[in-house]
Amino acid sequence: MNSVLILELTVGIIVSFTLLGIFIWAARGGQFDDSKKMMDGLLFDSEEELQSAYEKEQKVKMMKEKKIDNKKSENKKENKS
Amino acid sequence: MPTVQCTHCQLEFDENVMITEEENPNVYFCCNGCQGVYHLLKDDGLDSFYEKIGNNKIAPPMQVESDSSNFDMESFKQRYIKTTTEGFSSVDLVIEGIHCAACIWLNEKVLANTDGIVDASINFTNNKAKIIWDEEAIPLSKVIDTIRSIGYNAYPYDRSVEDVKATKNKKDYFMRMAIAIFASMNIMMIDVAKYAGFFTGMKDETLHLVHIAEFIFSTPVLFYSGWIFFKGAYFGLKNKIVNMDLLVSAGATLTYIYSLFVLLGGRGHSYFDSVAMIITFVLVGKYLEVIGKKNAVDTMDKIRSQVPHEATLVKDGVKSVVTLDAIEVGDIIEVKRGEKATVDGLLIGSDGTFDESSLTGESLPVEKKAGSLIYSGTINSGKVIRYSATKNYANSTLSNIVTLLEDALASKPEIEDTTNELSKYFSITILILSIITFAGWYWYGGDFEEALIVAISVIVIACPCALALATPIASLIGISWAAEKGLLFKEAKFIETFSKANIVVLDKTGTITEGKLEVKNVIGEMNTEYLPLLYALSDGSTHPVSLAIKNYLEDNFNDIEYLELKDIEQIEGKGVQAFYNNQKLLGGNGRLLQEMGISFAFESEYTLYHFAIDSRVICSFELDDKLKDGIRELITYLNKIEVEVIMATGDNEKVASRVAQSIGLKKYESELTPVEKADYIKKLQINGKKVVMIGDGINDALALSYADVAIAMGNGADVALAVSDVVILNNSLQAIKDSFVISKRTFKFIKQNLALSLIYNVITIPIAMAGYVIPLVAALSMSLSSLLVVGNSMRIKIKDKK
Repeated sequence: MNSVLILELTVGIIVSFTLLGIFIWAARGGQFDDSKKMMDGLLFDSEEELQSAYEKEQKVKMMKEKKIDNKKSENKKENKS
Repeated sequence: MPTVQCTHCQLEFDENVMITEEENPNVYFCCNGCQGVYHLLKDDGLDSFYEKIGNNKIAPPMQVESDSSNFDMESFKQRYIKTTTEGFSSVDLVIEGIHCAACIWLNEKVLANTDGIVDASINFTNNKAKIIWDEEAIPLSKVIDTIRSIGYNAYPYDRSVEDVKATKNKKDYFMRMAIAIFASMNIMMIDVAKYAGFFTGMKDETLHLVHIAEFIFSTPVLFYSGWIFFKGAYFGLKNKIVNMDLLVSAGATLTYIYSLFVLLGGRGHSYFDSVAMIITFVLVGKYLEVIGKKNAVDTMDKIRSQVPHEATLVKDGVKSVVTLDAIEVGDIIEVKRGEKATVDGLLIGSDGTFDESSLTGESLPVEKKAGSLIYSGTINSGKVIRYSATKNYANSTLSNIVTLLEDALASKPEIEDTTNELSKYFSITILILSIITFAGWYWYGGDFEEALIVAISVIVIACPCALALATPIASLIGISWAAEKGLLFKEAKFIETFSKANIVVLDKTGTITEGKLEVKNVIGEMNTEYLPLLYALSDGSTHPVSLAIKNYLEDNFNDIEYLELKDIEQIEGKGVQAFYNNQKLLGGNGRLLQEMGISFAFESEYTLYHFAIDSRVICSFELDDKLKDGIRELITYLNKIEVEVIMATGDNEKVASRVAQSIGLKKYESELTPVEKADYIKKLQINGKKVVMIGDGINDALALSYADVAIAMGNGADVALAVSDVVILNNSLQAIKDSFVISKRTFKFIKQNLALSLIYNVITIPIAMAGYVIPLVAALSMSLSSLLVVGNSMRIKIKDKK
């Protein structure tokens, strides 16, 4: 009986602490900074939103890469001169 | 006529005033702005905004006329724009015009779709936005234009140190509270099994396992979530203060150590659940306080964002853009249409129109003539004007209002100081009581466990949170309610003083009366033949009496012919003299007639204006100062709440008596010099009265400075701000009534809160000392007392909503 309880408690504690870890990760990322937005979050959750979030991520990635390339070429120019 | 909703802003209007489109029969627009934004969103595929908006209504798009090019100026960049590690630019903005979550969605979406913008996130709670963009791809002015194109506006704000601190603090508390709640909820679930086991029987080993689980959950609560209480207790002890944090941390730690002792083989029950609950409940209360502080910082940032960041200076015909600190008294400043005045000054050259709504709440633009005062923060709604600075930025109206608000939010009412002092003694008393309880129970009962638990319950149940919260929470709600109504309490302590006031002293001119004369009665014949002459004569002077005559003629007669008079001469303190076709025209008081040798006997208790042609009096006018709107209602209200009203004026007995009678005042003091007025206030105070003095700020400055609460009814001018304890932005008498209502109600709730927390402690402490309460219930009831105080304070504003 007690071994079952020990197992249950161990699994329970591990699962709940894992969930807590995920929550802390999300909170650190700023997901809960805006309480009002968080409450209305469900209203703006759709496939379309997911798609635009993905597109935004791609756009930002491209912009960052472009910026790094620009910096590199500028550094090269400076070194040459 | 049926009403229809505007397709964009959702506001309802008469169908016949709406803009319709032939090609889209089912759409209606209240203005061109709404129509423009609707089509813009449709073309960009963002029309799902109208689904997301739901039943919310938004304001029609703002028409911002100012040029956005100043966002690209070097001085702006230096002050507001930061560079990210990746080399992008970043700016903090306050977005104006946000009404609902759909507005946030729209702004973020439009900005995300704009080329060159890396990230745009807008906080719905405080409408602050952070924009990150690539300067090489798009200038900031274009980003701002994009926001304006969809009907919103953006102002930059300098992220203050307090904002960074408050945001960090809020996040830190949120994390600690979230972990505490998570652990407590788990412990509660385990508790169900534990307490069920007490009744159905539970093996000792099983109970031991349950205690281990509770130990695992309660440890992070005490040492991570509860860390702030240890810190607070440490700093308190360092400053020789026994504070609430010491009680919470001592109670929780003692319970934890005892429970650990039981877990490691000792005899008795463990109380890990109580440890988690004590910390969690108190932390929730603390988190509410932190949110309140963050909201205050956000309000301040919003106000600061309204302050323009630079001005156009004109020196020797050359224009240059300078920062506000560089403006000196006497500098000539140019303000274009749609721009804000940066410092206070006097208009020079051509006339102008200003929107002073940010200061006075008056929605109609105010006409300004050369020499008129221009207040900082007001918007030029007319053509380009120039004005001469009479003050530097730090002493200007807008800067003063910002400082006033900062001071008010930071200050505490007297009663709060008393309460804080009280809670120090309270904490020591509780510690002593708990030691006595422990000693008593151990001495008579001999059971260490029982004695310790009862003592802990005493500490926990008597937590003085409610006492400490009673005043600040009510004051905060009172002050913010007042600010919504255009009343700025310079310090929170004036809420208390105002509510205790039993005498209101009113100045006459500018407070009871408008200070604008009106024709009351005409004596003699108003012959149309002489009308153009009288009109031209009254137009020749800017004296209030002449202006009143001119206004009267304009209001009562149409198409008066305008005649050109010759040799117009002002006779100081008496009137005007002029000539027309060899006729000598005179317009003025009795002394003017006397001086010109015209005998005319007419006496009146009103101000008199006589019009004479060639030594013959044609007609006379009796003029009266118009009473301010709402003065009778104010006096009726003050009488109702048993506050004595006295009029103190420099005018003669006759005028004072007439004005007092006309507004139903029984008591008045006439012919008082400014010094006598001040002495009169002092005399009232010596007789034990709390005096509220309401004056127009300039000649009453001395009396105002002696009063317990001073209110200056100026038009938001410098004197008004300097002398007043309560600043009335909209200059209306209704605001004085509001001040009484708000402060009396707020103070009533402060007293109620204090009584609630004291009664709570008087009842619960003896129960806890008698051993009827376990620590968990003690923590719960202590938190309930805090919630009771917060909930009670929330009722302050309910009266306004009724």
